[in-house]
Amino acid sequence: MAMTALARMAARAPVPVFVATGQGWLASCRNLAASVDVAVVTNIREAAILIVAGEPRDEDRDALRRLHDQMPHPRATAWWGARPFAEAGSAIEVSATDDPGPLLRSAFAALLARVRESEPDWLPDDPPNPWQGEGDHGQGGKGMMGGTPYGRPMAMTADDLRDGLALDSFTFTIGPFYPSLPPGLALELTLQGDVIQSARVVRPPLDPGEDAAGACRSMTVGRMLRLLELDALARRCEAVPVEDRDAVNGLKRWIGASCAMRAIPKGLGRLAGDDARARFTRMVAALGDAEASSIAGPGGRLVDLLPGLEWNEALLVINSFSHRDLVALAPREMEQEEDSEGSAEQREGHGI
Amino acid sequence: MTALIAVLLLLAAGVWFGATVDAVAEAAVAGRPVRTALAAPFRRTALMLSRQAIETEHPDTLNHLLAPACYLVLAAAGLSVVPFAPGVAVTDIATGLVLWGACEALVVVVVFLNGWSANAPLPLIGGYRYVAIGLPAMLISMFVLIGTALPAQSLGVSAVVESQRVLINAVRQPLGLPLFLLLGLSITLRGPFNYGDSADLVGGTQAEVAGVQRLLWRGAKLAMLTAFSAMAATVFLGGYLGPVLPGPAWLVLKTALVMLMLVAITHLVARVPPARMLTWLWTVLLPLSFVDLVWAGLEAMR
Repeated sequence: MAMTALARMAARAPVPVFVATGQGWLASCRNLAASVDVAVVTNIREAAILIVAGEPRDEDRDALRRLHDQMPHPRATAWWGARPFAEAGSAIEVSATDDPGPLLRSAFAALLARVRESEPDWLPDDPPNPWQGEGDHGQGGKGMMGGTPYGRPMAMTADDLRDGLALDSFTFTIGPFYPSLPPGLALELTLQGDVIQSARVVRPPLDPGEDAAGACRSMTVGRMLRLLELDALARRCEAVPVEDRDAVNGLKRWIGASCAMRAIPKGLGRLAGDDARARFTRMVAALGDAEASSIAGPGGRLVDLLPGLEWNEALLVINSFSHRDLVALAPREMEQEEDSEGSAEQREGHGI
Repeated sequence: MTALIAVLLLLAAGVWFGATVDAVAEAAVAGRPVRTALAAPFRRTALMLSRQAIETEHPDTLNHLLAPACYLVLAAAGLSVVPFAPGVAVTDIATGLVLWGACEALVVVVVFLNGWSANAPLPLIGGYRYVAIGLPAMLISMFVLIGTALPAQSLGVSAVVESQRVLINAVRQPLGLPLFLLLGLSITLRGPFNYGDSADLVGGTQAEVAGVQRLLWRGAKLAMLTAFSAMAATVFLGGYLGPVLPGPAWLVLKTALVMLMLVAITHLVARVPPARMLTWLWTVLLPLSFVDLVWAGLEAMR
């Protein structure tokens, strides 16, 4: 089928891809950021191709399916060094050693020209919780409050940490593919408005491995810059060749001039004497330094730092730690997870 | 009719110009090729038109459609009070500044509705957060605009332009333009004042939107950027006043200058967390706008 003028024009844009990172694949994902063929997007709603980079953990597979089904049509999935799911159909497979850019570009053009069929959903279009027929009115809840009306957990009132007003609290899970969190980290959060009331680690971050420390640092600084609404500078950071001293020093000057450090409030997320601003400042200073080790190895638990923080502040605190420190600060919470795994999985139906 | 055509042309040209300079600035800061960025707005538009529009579970469909449409209408209504030459404005009324102020205030409602209508958590947080920051930002704008009305002794925008024949307000009231630019960043959801569509919420009010809906919202934001820039150029930089060139050309040049300033700030200046910005707005920026108003009053009495 011939491409329309609109499709031809669209096919000249960089391929919008969303990257779902698997185990041992952090350094390779960073190379995608430097590619001129693709534009790595941070919202699955903007992506045309989902890249599964490396084998996902077993426990992340359902989340990956939900992520896939949120991508608008026409869409495809590329499996880069990963085995396609059985339901994936005509998958784009890229070997671990190949550059996926050219293959993605041709697949993208085929999608827009309707030569390649858009992938159907991988999950049935059912509510995440069974609800029909339950409750006094068959609405899935108990009376007027509680339960999961229409398959969704209902927001319930609880004391607010700021002023004690009893307002609705809402519990849901973000991760393991949330773009403002390190790959793999999944948190169950209870919010009132935009303030975090409680947090629990559902899944820990992926282990970065020994040789990915430099790449992880660039990606973490990139996430921090994005949280400070400096998306273009974040892209520069994620793509900068760490062996190029001039480029790295130039990047540091850009970051300094943007007031990125000073934008982070003093005292935020203090742990072992350091706050988020100090940790971020050190991380920026260590960019391009392959020998720089993980900063402090602070003891403590990430989830204890988050209650009472506003959404943006909480994400700044999380990303102010190096990836390796986060692995230590956010271990899997085994006992609680077993108790409430069911409800956590159900809440993930919100697809964040 | 001439003024109406001029408004529509300026809006269309402004959307194109804003999208282009945005793409070029983004590429330059990101270290990507700037040359390809020139065609980026057209390619992005084609891409968005080629994608499926998303429908979330039980959205507020009416407000989902109305929000971008109303945002665009507010941009056009705001631009309608801007005179292109003496006596050439679509809405040449004695209370033009009040009409502009109403458009600013209604942007808060429109952005909130955009976040509300998706029926999803992150867009809703974006909507609420925008209301919290947007309202005090509007107050700053009101004081600053009243300051420009004092030397003109009128709330009419044409009178404000004419009052700048000797000295433009950007010089006469040095705090006014910087404070007004903050409002511009806020009502166009950009950079250090982007609390509605921000990256930490994966796009905030836009988190669940794709395809044509995304294109409409983006177009409306660029239209508002154009309208705001034209207004800032009019009330602080003398609008159509200037030597040699015809009045409309001066207005377009000054509008483009303000747009460039806003785009540069968008990509170069970090945003602070919302709670900190709220504190700054009430304890620093709002008092500064009082100082600007007193300054303008004293200067007008000289």
